[in-house]
Amino acid sequence: MNAARRDLNRGPDDATARGAANTAQRLVAAMPRLVLEARRVAGSVYHGVHGRRRAGPGENFWQYRRFTDGEPANRVDWRRSARDDHLYVREREWEAAHTIWIWPDRSPSMVFASPLVWETKLDRALVLTFALGELLVRGGERVGIPGLMRPTASRAVIDRMADVIVHAAETPASLPPAFAPGAREEVVLLGDFWSPTKEVTGMIASLGSRGAGGHLVQVVDPAEETFPYGGRIEFQEPEGLGSITIGRAEAWKDDFIRRVALHRDAIRAEAKRLGWSFAVHRTDRPASELVLALHARMGASNDVLAGRRRTSTMTNEAVA
Amino acid sequence: MIAGLPIGFTSPLLLLALLALPILWWLLRLIPPRPRRIAFPPTRILMEIEPKEETPARTPWWLTLLRLVLAALIIIAAAGPVWNPPVPGARDRGPIALIVDSGWAAAAQWNERMRAAEAIITRAETESRGVAVIGTGTPAKEFSLLRPGEAREALKLLAPAAHTPDRSEILAPLSRLLRASGDLTVVWLSDGVDLGDGAAFIEELRRIAGDRVVAVNGGIAGALALVAADNAAGALSVKVLRADPMAPARGIVRARDLRGLALGDAAFEFSGAAAEIEARFDLPVEIRNDIARLEILGERSSGAVQLLDKRWRRRTVGVISGATADTAQPLLAATYYLSRALGPFADVRIAESGSPSEAINRFIDQRIPLLVLSDVGTIVPASRERLARWIDGGGMLIRFAGPRLAAANEDDLVPVRIRRGGRVLGGSLSWEQPQKLGSFSREGPFNDFPVPDDVTVTRQVLAEPDGQLPERTWASLADGTPLVTAARRGRGLIILFHVTADTSWSNLPISGVFVDMLRRTVALAGTASGVTETRSAVERGPAPTIAPTRLLDGFGAYTAPAPTVKPVPADFTGRAIADHPPGFYGPPEGLFAVNTLAAADRMKPLDFSALAGRVEPYRQGEPLDLRSYVLVAVLSLILLDALIVLVLAGGLARIARRRAAAAAMVGCAVLFGAPQFGPLRAQDSFDVRAALQTRLAYVVTGDTETDAVSRAGLEGLSQFLQQRTALEPGDPMGIDLARDELAFYPMLYWPIVPTAAKPDAATLTRIDTYMKQGGTILFDTRDAFTAIPGRPGEVSPALARLREILASLDIPELEPVPRDHVLTKAFYLLRDFPGRYNTGTFWVEALPAGEDETRPARPGDSVSPILITSNDFAGAWAVARDGQPLLPLVPGEPRQREFAFRVGVNIVMYVLTGNYKADQVHVPALLERLGQ
Repeated sequence: MNAARRDLNRGPDDATARGAANTAQRLVAAMPRLVLEARRVAGSVYHGVHGRRRAGPGENFWQYRRFTDGEPANRVDWRRSARDDHLYVREREWEAAHTIWIWPDRSPSMVFASPLVWETKLDRALVLTFALGELLVRGGERVGIPGLMRPTASRAVIDRMADVIVHAAETPASLPPAFAPGAREEVVLLGDFWSPTKEVTGMIASLGSRGAGGHLVQVVDPAEETFPYGGRIEFQEPEGLGSITIGRAEAWKDDFIRRVALHRDAIRAEAKRLGWSFAVHRTDRPASELVLALHARMGASNDVLAGRRRTSTMTNEAVA
Repeated sequence: MIAGLPIGFTSPLLLLALLALPILWWLLRLIPPRPRRIAFPPTRILMEIEPKEETPARTPWWLTLLRLVLAALIIIAAAGPVWNPPVPGARDRGPIALIVDSGWAAAAQWNERMRAAEAIITRAETESRGVAVIGTGTPAKEFSLLRPGEAREALKLLAPAAHTPDRSEILAPLSRLLRASGDLTVVWLSDGVDLGDGAAFIEELRRIAGDRVVAVNGGIAGALALVAADNAAGALSVKVLRADPMAPARGIVRARDLRGLALGDAAFEFSGAAAEIEARFDLPVEIRNDIARLEILGERSSGAVQLLDKRWRRRTVGVISGATADTAQPLLAATYYLSRALGPFADVRIAESGSPSEAINRFIDQRIPLLVLSDVGTIVPASRERLARWIDGGGMLIRFAGPRLAAANEDDLVPVRIRRGGRVLGGSLSWEQPQKLGSFSREGPFNDFPVPDDVTVTRQVLAEPDGQLPERTWASLADGTPLVTAARRGRGLIILFHVTADTSWSNLPISGVFVDMLRRTVALAGTASGVTETRSAVERGPAPTIAPTRLLDGFGAYTAPAPTVKPVPADFTGRAIADHPPGFYGPPEGLFAVNTLAAADRMKPLDFSALAGRVEPYRQGEPLDLRSYVLVAVLSLILLDALIVLVLAGGLARIARRRAAAAAMVGCAVLFGAPQFGPLRAQDSFDVRAALQTRLAYVVTGDTETDAVSRAGLEGLSQFLQQRTALEPGDPMGIDLARDELAFYPMLYWPIVPTAAKPDAATLTRIDTYMKQGGTILFDTRDAFTAIPGRPGEVSPALARLREILASLDIPELEPVPRDHVLTKAFYLLRDFPGRYNTGTFWVEALPAGEDETRPARPGDSVSPILITSNDFAGAWAVARDGQPLLPLVPGEPRQREFAFRVGVNIVMYVLTGNYKADQVHVPALLERLGQ
């Protein structure tokens, strides 16, 4: 007898729609708290990280340095050079505004919190989105949400993000909408990426096709990694993509973990090919941990904007 | 009917449905339990996993078992189980012949037997069947079928007989009854005791009644009986018998005297399946001789009673020897022969030392009823007088002749006058050969002894022939000279053996008849009528009979003799019969006991294997319909099953999710099967949570709205504290003052609800202790808005209630918070203390009057244990889950809420740090002083 009945043909039905409506309401109610939390996270990170203090194209004075032979003469700052015997070049702080697309996965599958944690993955993803947006805007970048918000450098970026997310009309999908980020743009994807491996890697490949940098953060619940289930259970896909009934769930644990590792390895390999980073963030870890790591990672990747980026896995605790 | 258990079924055919259980089992195995449904985002990953060849998820075996038991119980309930089902007739029609064993063996459990008989008659009544009641103890000549009502009357008249009935007496009338009515069912309520005729009876019953017999046996305690009481030298022993091991295994035999007074108890305990055990009374012989009745305590039957008459009495005999050399050759001494001959039936005391006169005095002092003087000649006159008086008073003196007696002068303590010198073989009164024992006098007590021909006498003392000699002679030699003579003296008796007690004069002391003669003689002692009665018995002819005096009934109690009882022959031994029921016969001074069982009787359990019919046990207690109990069990099993299914399907977790956090944790523990939480009691876990983190706490007033606001307020304040200060308090907790430990909380917020009950005395004591030990209570009457300012006489209900509470507490002097109080500087600098309202006064323990008015803050020695406000702090602090304030403020100045929070921060800091801030404000002065 086949205990694992597959039920793949069930589409989203009324219940799913009602659930989505409830989710939206809940999201609106939770938003102030998330914003607050995001500000706290961003604040704690911001105090720890100091912007990109280096010379570059910008408007603010950075430093005078000696003129070196071979440089175009028009770079000489004559007013400064007149004061003594050397020639000086006036350098401005690097202020290249950089566009970063942050995409939080708001699909129903993110509204999941096992009894092991108190926060859903969606809440965590939003907190991360807001905190990251705030940090990046403060750092002079332009932040946008693909499909929802055009890149902006507004100081009130969190409020704007919250606003568009709350008022977003369409049913959120599991994977980001197809768009084409430019070569000098960066993409941060926050989601659970439980879609089939091919879809995920294809999505990454298409996003990175024009050379955009990217960071994948898989926000997972601890239960999704440890599979702490036993007995006869019917597992339901929250997005209405079917269900599976398992007779003895504990027997599936090892296979599940192995399968998840395979899935991640495929994503990681694709990310590596494109020079993207891939990290796993568990909702039982603090949000600031990931924000800090991600921020540092993005700062580092800017150093080598040209050419292939150095790829490395981030030192997040939960990297599988 | 389940063997051994008194369970029956009204419709046993339904039990066949139990055979369907295996099919049910198979069906149950096929249907798996409803799975738990869990939303799980990576379900698509699961779908990619190859389905396992796992054992199909089936109902756990124990759940299947539970359901099978459930089904079995339903079937059993439908079959109508009955505890103690009534004994049915063999068939459900035709009259019933009810044989009741009504001998003594049935008496002990008579009520149970009667109840069984009643049940059968009642059943016959409902089925309109005739009943013949046949008691084996009192068999009638003819049996007739009665209507059940009459049969019940006949049953009531039935009483157990005291003797052992002869069951075979009913066989003839029973067979006539069987012939008269064709389809008769014989129900035999047996007592289970076979005293020898059981097998024959059962065989005969089978022959005349075939398989129409239902024998009822067992199920109740079997009978106990006493036989073979024996008053031996050391102790009185009696044998306790039982027929079947169902009889009580231990008990007590009690000895009573004639008047019914208890003389002693002897315990007995059967080991294993033993059918016989001896009970012993280790009592002094004087007391043993008074025993007239032995009975088994609690066993009310005549078989459990053993009556003792004088034949069981044990005499004490004092033996005095006149010979001086007795001790030189003790095995040839007269005392030795006497003690050996008397020993089996009497306690012999031998005068070991001193003169015969002293020994006589001593024995008389000991009130010994019988003295033996062996060859004692002259006795000191004083002792002699005493001995004569003793005999006149009823004493019995047995004397043996010898050289000293023969030589004594004028000895009047002999039954006949003695010729001086005696006669010796070859002497002056010469014998050619030793004389044999000739005859026993018909008047004497030895009259029924056979005359032995091996007793020879070589020497004797001779009696002077006179007219009284023949009637005083009990035994004489072949030539007619007396060997034993006896005479009454007063109420006593003197007996003289004309030979010595040793073998020097005759071989009588080593012959068997010597023992018999002594036993018969000793038996006369103490019965004043010994001789005369014997004589009168002789006069009545060869078979003297004794009339009944006190008889036993079947239950072992004394009754007056029934007119049908016949006198018993004096030599009656053996089992009591209907004509001679057990009891005492004869005059009060010479009672003759007839016992229910003879000494050699042994009980055996009846062997019903030869019977063609059925054997069923007795039922103790009323029939009990078990259906309701089984149905209740079914119902509880259904509930249990539902609960298990709920747990298996994860329903428990669903319920738990709606409960508080603690319940959710329990749900998790159940879900994941992890015993992460130790066996903490709820209160313990509450305390542990309170102790592990600094928390704000509020008093649960019982008013839901107030408590919600308190909680939200403290949550808001906790958040505020977390954002602005180094303190990160845990979630606030609601405290039940009467129950929870208060020691963990630095501060309690207590909103006063006028309608709430005043705390009881014990609670007030706890509050007082809490305040004394450093806790601070923030009372909030929350009525600054409604209270009318400027009218001190008017007291708001909340304030009145607060005063009522405080009246029972030890409260220090209070004052409005002065400007220089630490509370104004503990974290923020504050001028006033607004909450939702800003008109109320904030009261605090009055500080001692400051000596240094110039300082910016006055240090108190300690934190004020009490703070009172009416500004509704919690209302101002209360925030909803989304961070929005819950309640509007009055009057709602722009920064009022901010200040309200600052007040809260100051209060918490004040409570936690005390006068630390007051010290801090001295720092400039200290630095200045150091600088100098």
